[in-house]
Amino acid sequence: MATYKNLTDDQIKTLTDQGCSALDWKNIQVADGFNPVRARNTHFSGNVKIGSLSGNVAGVHGIEKTSGIYNANIHNCTIGDNSRIANVGVHIANYNIGSNVCIENVGTIQTNPNATFGNGTEVEVLNEGGGREVILFDQLSVQYAYMTCLYRYRPQLTANLNKIALDYVETVRSDQGTIADGAKISTATEIIDVNVGPAAVINAASSLVNGTILSAPDASTLIGPKVVAKDFIIAESAEVTDGAVLAHTFVGQGAQMGKQYSAENSLFFANCEAFHGEACSIFAGPYTVTHHKSTLLIAGLFSFYNAGSGTNQSNHMYKLGPVHEGKLARGTKTGSFSYMMWPCSVGPFGVVLGKHTSTFNTSEYPFSHHEARADGKCTMIPGLNLTTVGTVRDGAKWPNRDRRKGKIKRDLISFDVFSPYTVGKMIRASESLKKIYDNTDKSIEEVSVGGALVRRPILRTGQKFYRAGIHMYLTEKVFSHIEKAVEAGDISHAFANAPTAVYSQDWVDVGGQLMPHDRLFNAFEALEKAANLEECTKILNDIHAAYADDEWVWIKHAYKDVFGTDLDNATKQDIANVADEYLKARGKFLRLVVGDAEKEFDELSHSGFGQDGSPQDIDKDFTEVRGTYQDNKFVKEMQQKLADLEKTVAEFKTKLEKL
Amino acid sequence: MSDTADRVRKVTADVLKVDLGRVTDEARFVEDLGAESIQSIELIAAYEEEFDIEIDEEEGTAVKNVGGAIEFIQNVLDNQ
Repeated sequence: MATYKNLTDDQIKTLTDQGCSALDWKNIQVADGFNPVRARNTHFSGNVKIGSLSGNVAGVHGIEKTSGIYNANIHNCTIGDNSRIANVGVHIANYNIGSNVCIENVGTIQTNPNATFGNGTEVEVLNEGGGREVILFDQLSVQYAYMTCLYRYRPQLTANLNKIALDYVETVRSDQGTIADGAKISTATEIIDVNVGPAAVINAASSLVNGTILSAPDASTLIGPKVVAKDFIIAESAEVTDGAVLAHTFVGQGAQMGKQYSAENSLFFANCEAFHGEACSIFAGPYTVTHHKSTLLIAGLFSFYNAGSGTNQSNHMYKLGPVHEGKLARGTKTGSFSYMMWPCSVGPFGVVLGKHTSTFNTSEYPFSHHEARADGKCTMIPGLNLTTVGTVRDGAKWPNRDRRKGKIKRDLISFDVFSPYTVGKMIRASESLKKIYDNTDKSIEEVSVGGALVRRPILRTGQKFYRAGIHMYLTEKVFSHIEKAVEAGDISHAFANAPTAVYSQDWVDVGGQLMPHDRLFNAFEALEKAANLEECTKILNDIHAAYADDEWVWIKHAYKDVFGTDLDNATKQDIANVADEYLKARGKFLRLVVGDAEKEFDELSHSGFGQDGSPQDIDKDFTEVRGTYQDNKFVKEMQQKLADLEKTVAEFKTKLEKL
Repeated sequence: MSDTADRVRKVTADVLKVDLGRVTDEARFVEDLGAESIQSIELIAAYEEEFDIEIDEEEGTAVKNVGGAIEFIQNVLDNQ
């Protein structure tokens, strides 16, 4: 804590000689090392404390300049050591400004009495008619928001989460804002009631009102040109730039938003990307991505989502208010100019193409292809996307694209594409398709499955797809489990459960965190009684830490149901069978993925290549631009995996025999 | 074989909505009959339905023309 002293007469004279003035010099205090030469043409009012102003500090663009206070109006501020404040058009009022801060060429920076800096803002998320409001606070995680928003059937839970949030709001309420150590602000017109975190960069923002910009030295947050934001919280290592317009909006860690994107009453969590388009009352879970113009996301729940250009949604078929909601489970993609009319629910990793003017709920049919017919009705091929290149690439890309820097990662994310959540749905979907098929007369051409039309023969195809996915997941997981035990030379406890593991047939996706249904419901009581945010966070972290144990218990149950083998009593032959089934299922999956990749190199894909050349130039042009199938990195990677698979299984069986 | 061939051709024409006359043995599903990837799936499903067989997706999608499909399905039927 720095100690401050009143200015000496000599210091006041120097300051006055350099064009400085004060309403009352007695209210201006300075720390040891304060150099009055470094304050010019500045008017001080209220209580002002100034640090040492001795060294240099780098601005937004990295150029080092002398610390000091030049051409400014400073009211009721504390200014840390070695900071630079220059060219303040109106004033900086009621701020605690840290050390090594650089503020240049700004208009108004002011905190009003009782400011909460965006904390406490109610966001009318998911349901435009209200009723699912989430209270913003600067420690909000996707799981916290999800539970507040979605589990309204547990009013005690909602009430307690809201209470904790509001209690937190009171801890940040202040008449004084903060611009923390190392922050850099340049050419910003208006910053009112905004807390700025350490090392944050604000460059040419237009208007920031009632918000918090979380930031850290190792997770710097950027607010760029022409940004207009009101009632907001922007988390660490996020980038909001290039004319983005936000109102009542949360931007999560590592998220990127810009190119004139506008968002209202919306929550964007970790690693979302939003450019060009518009969001209204959306709950964008981790990795929600919308890059294109004319894309309107409205009243929807998303995660690991990719919105194609011109994606559009509406909920206008209402009488008493816009009550409808859309729920696109993790991994969903909507194609260019796809349209969906809420209420609609799409299962995980679904693809939606075309203009759907009828509603459907295919949430229990993962990896399905949805295409609108000319009459707007949805047709579905269940499980079609299981073996596409896109699915494989998605699974690999998300962990690699985690832009959250720094130690704190508030959103808990389960990245697995195949998990008890998705595979459990596959098992149920497969059973359901079989039942429908068995009960449908051959004369019937198509049947409705959750409002989506499925051609009767496709009911069998869907079962086949799901069977392949289920077998691959289960055998792969069991194989990798036993492989370690075989390697260690002891398989006696290979299939044991962790004593604290929880089994639920159904799993849920709580804003990107996968967990057994019972884990969630068992946690509700504790969450309803939690006294503070730390307790809530611990409950969720503990669930997250138990993921692998819970998954294993689920796998054992599912393996018994699907293959009829109780792994607790597995013989060596049973284990050898696991290896054989794994080789078969995984091998088939990889070959189908490679086959899907091959389509990218077929004759149709050459269409449009060889501009102004001869027919022979088409292939040459294509090869120059796209390369060859044989040399494609992804294809080679898949083929290598296939080769490794055969080798691994062969070696495993040899070792197993010796045990 | 001839019964199988006729049924394969008819199913192909129905699913791809093309004139039966175009469904020759040499006709390639994608390039000549305009089958899109979704229709390939529907075609396999329709063959399965017609002949009450199960076609392995990996093997099924490797078949590129009508003649190949006839031969493939006949083999499956012969091995049942």
